[in-house]
Amino acid sequence: MIQKVGKMSAVHNLRNIFLLHNSFRNSKHVVSMLHCSAQKYVNTVTYAPKYTSSRRKVAYLKELYRRKLEVGPDEVKHPSAFGCWNHASEVYAFGKRLGEEFDEQKLAQAFIQKSFVESEKEKQKNLGLLLDVNVEDNTKLAHEGRILASDFVKAYLRYSYPHLFEEGICAIHDFLMSHSTLFHVASNLGVRDLIQSPTYPPSEEDYITTLMAVIGALTHSDLSAANNDHDVTNTKKGLSRAELFVLDFLVPQLIGRDVMEMWELANPMGLLVGLLRARGLGQPEPRMLWDAAKNTIMPVYNVGIYVDKKLIGKSPGETAAIAEEMAARDTLRNLLGMSNSRSPLQLGDQARHLQLDYRLRNASVQEVTSV
Amino acid sequence: MGSSTIPSTFLKNIAQNGIGRHVCQLQRLTLSLCKSHPSSAAARKFVEDDLLDFTKGNPGIVFYVKPRRHRAPVLTAEFLNGYKEMIDLTRCTKEEIAQWIGLMRGRSGVQIMRIRKDWHTDTPSIQGMWNPFMFKDTKLNVTDKMDKSLSEYISKYKSASQKLIEMKKLQKQQKELEQPLKESTRVIQEKKKAASH
Repeated sequence: MIQKVGKMSAVHNLRNIFLLHNSFRNSKHVVSMLHCSAQKYVNTVTYAPKYTSSRRKVAYLKELYRRKLEVGPDEVKHPSAFGCWNHASEVYAFGKRLGEEFDEQKLAQAFIQKSFVESEKEKQKNLGLLLDVNVEDNTKLAHEGRILASDFVKAYLRYSYPHLFEEGICAIHDFLMSHSTLFHVASNLGVRDLIQSPTYPPSEEDYITTLMAVIGALTHSDLSAANNDHDVTNTKKGLSRAELFVLDFLVPQLIGRDVMEMWELANPMGLLVGLLRARGLGQPEPRMLWDAAKNTIMPVYNVGIYVDKKLIGKSPGETAAIAEEMAARDTLRNLLGMSNSRSPLQLGDQARHLQLDYRLRNASVQEVTSV
Repeated sequence: MGSSTIPSTFLKNIAQNGIGRHVCQLQRLTLSLCKSHPSSAAARKFVEDDLLDFTKGNPGIVFYVKPRRHRAPVLTAEFLNGYKEMIDLTRCTKEEIAQWIGLMRGRSGVQIMRIRKDWHTDTPSIQGMWNPFMFKDTKLNVTDKMDKSLSEYISKYKSASQKLIEMKKLQKQQKELEQPLKESTRVIQEKKKAASH
């Protein structure tokens, strides 16, 4: 449709204002303003004068903006509300982005929350429909995924830290499977818009359930021989795709973190004594190595722990007692192979062909201290 | 305006991306353009020529083409961490649009800010951070500060006696090397014990 330039710009201006006003009408402000005179107000503004001067236009827009700020921010809407959303494509892209071949039906199921299914059933009940909601939610997948992730993380940690006590392994595992860690991983995977839940944005629990369900969906999608090997006696087999997923996304959250700090040790000296006795070594001898500024408010004491006349661990501290406890911790760290200079975790390409023993259990503190 | 007032950040890697596997951080691109207005001509050309190649090569990025009448062409990029950026493509050529899309594809979802340091490490020290006691002998702890040994003269050069002692040691070592391999001292001692019993 060809129009003259002058006329078109006027129409253009009118349409812009009309369109802008549409968004204004959708805001909460108008809802609160809707009394009998409001309608008249709205109507008069819709039919703005044909040739609006820029001063009036600017003033009008400024006033609109001020009122919008007064009302507060718009509610966060799902992208489908803006007309640009294709759920099937998004789910497909999600799988491809992660570099995985998912079973489509299982992956789609992984995003459906239980609360969503229930709300859909409620809606249908309210509408009086007799149709059955035949979609399965992701609780079962999430359960499977969580078990797999948990087992794999423990096996991997036992492989990486063979001398660390079982309690330490469990503490690191609890950190990795904690709410905050899982939510951090899930929120950076791009599941926010894919999650089907009655509220948007979805809750943190929804994110975590979805992440576990994705892992669960991956167990069903894996068609490689490793996963289908039902030989129970073969405890050492290659990693399945779901386990590689956990290895690539969850385990790297340990990077940059002190894993010994995750384990709450109440009595490090007591444990050290027990450990040395179990290993048939001599008793620990704490000795003051260096100290400085003893008579001031900021003294520093360096205590070293000697075992069979060899220095195993040392640490500074504000008082001699603190330094001794910290030195006991340092000694434990060195004896359990957890010193800061240990070789790093095997991740990425190095870990592709790991063979983990799932039956393995590390020594427990009880075993060592009860001797 | 200075560096303290303009926001800045340290170098970040979102959720350790790349350690295990690399995940493209771009979630979706939305190209909104007008079907008739000349400002969208380049965008329309891009959709005709290069779009399918891009989508084939990047199955993990969802591409929406959104026709909007009488509006400027805009590229909206949404990232996995929720960050959203919009680029106005009014004066861009087809190649420039492709470049913008390439930029979005390669970015992480971190907002572009002044980066304070070009590097980041979780392990700044392997052997342990230096502390004033690191290379000090522990006998300093039990040495009185008025001790004579602390005020001994430490010469830069070796004295004649020291040189003679070292020469003797070197001779002894060379003699041991020249001799044929002997049984170890422990074996000799054990033989002696056995002989004496």
